[in-house]
Amino acid sequence: MKQALVDDTEDVSLDFGNEEELAFRKKIRHPLATFFHLFFRVSAIVTYVCCDWFSRSFVGCFVTVLLLLSFDFWSVKNVTGRLLVGLRWWNHIDEDGKGRWIFEARKASPQRSVATEAEARIFWLGLVICPLIWTVFFFSTLFSLKLEWLALVIAGISLQAANLYGYILCKMGGERDIGKITASFLSQMVFQTASPRDFQKPGLKGLEIHKH
Amino acid sequence: FAGLSDISISQDIPVEGEITIPMTSHIREFDSSTLNESVQNTIMRDLKAVGKKFMHVLYPRKSNTLLRDWDLWGPLILCVTLALMLQRSSVDSEKDGGPQFAEVFVIVWFGAVTITLNSKLLGGNISFFQSLCVLGYCILPLTVAMLVCRLVLLAEQGPINFMVRLFVVIVMFTWSIVASTAFLADSQPPNRKALAIYPVFLFYFVISWMILTFTPQ
Repeated sequence: MKQALVDDTEDVSLDFGNEEELAFRKKIRHPLATFFHLFFRVSAIVTYVCCDWFSRSFVGCFVTVLLLLSFDFWSVKNVTGRLLVGLRWWNHIDEDGKGRWIFEARKASPQRSVATEAEARIFWLGLVICPLIWTVFFFSTLFSLKLEWLALVIAGISLQAANLYGYILCKMGGERDIGKITASFLSQMVFQTASPRDFQKPGLKGLEIHKH
Repeated sequence: FAGLSDISISQDIPVEGEITIPMTSHIREFDSSTLNESVQNTIMRDLKAVGKKFMHVLYPRKSNTLLRDWDLWGPLILCVTLALMLQRSSVDSEKDGGPQFAEVFVIVWFGAVTITLNSKLLGGNISFFQSLCVLGYCILPLTVAMLVCRLVLLAEQGPINFMVRLFVVIVMFTWSIVASTAFLADSQPPNRKALAIYPVFLFYFVISWMILTFTPQ
């Protein structure tokens, strides 16, 4: 952080062309949100795996993991999604009692898309890897016949998969064809690895592939 | 600069590109009222919503608040509290009421899901999560009954003890039924109301039975 402060004071001269450099350097704009995004998920997994070491109480471990999973679900759905990647999803009940799901995506603006690259990567990695780990736990619990843990694992999978599904639908933004989404995603990855610096400059006029 | 007025652009210059327009029925404008609010606002808003629903269960009136603005925090808290109180303190610390704990969870959530499926199959116009929300929140009176029963059980056992607990459980059971029917009955067509309410009756009956027959070892 100190280095960033020094850089800020050094660049105080009216040099408007350097704004994107500054923004690029501040990779994580919401450190607290990023921390909590990963904290609840990882500690739920760690507690589940290591519960035999902490205490022999099934109930204590169950309640702790369940509470961590609930806090994780709430914070990812309501806080870290909109802070890190500008997406949000919820359920809205109409006047006549019909419920529908609403998915919102923040429009990409040049200043924002540069600085949130690292955050977006952390967000999506955390979102995808943890449900996979819980699925592994599901099979290990099933085959080792520790069935009392199955309720907890199923709760974990459903909560995390719900968030993953909701955010994928937000990101797809109404595009329903999975093939097109995958194709555009892969082409983005190719561009990124080919010329990372150029890709991140918002000055590529009109070539707004990067839609967060 | 007179010559500039003669410049014309030919009509057949191809203009191509790719525009992805989000489907307007699913994606709205960036709603700055909730998307930009601070974290503390979000927490306070959700806490207030949960508290309001608890109040609605304690004083049941016909209103739509429980239905419109559903959340599952209340049911989760109540379920965990009930399951913790229904634990038997056993001598053997290794199996410390583990199966009973998970059993309460499974009964509550599986029962609520079954009732919801039943009411949807009967043609009710209530959504899945709304129904879960109502059923979960209406467990509040029975949780209070459990608390009272545990306190009563600290006194000496006997028929009077049992009668007191029976009375409390019956009162709270009817309270739960009244509260949940106040919210759920409207969503069913009139000739199906009894068919939809009957599983709710069974659900709370099973929970009341578990509470009444609880004895700490």
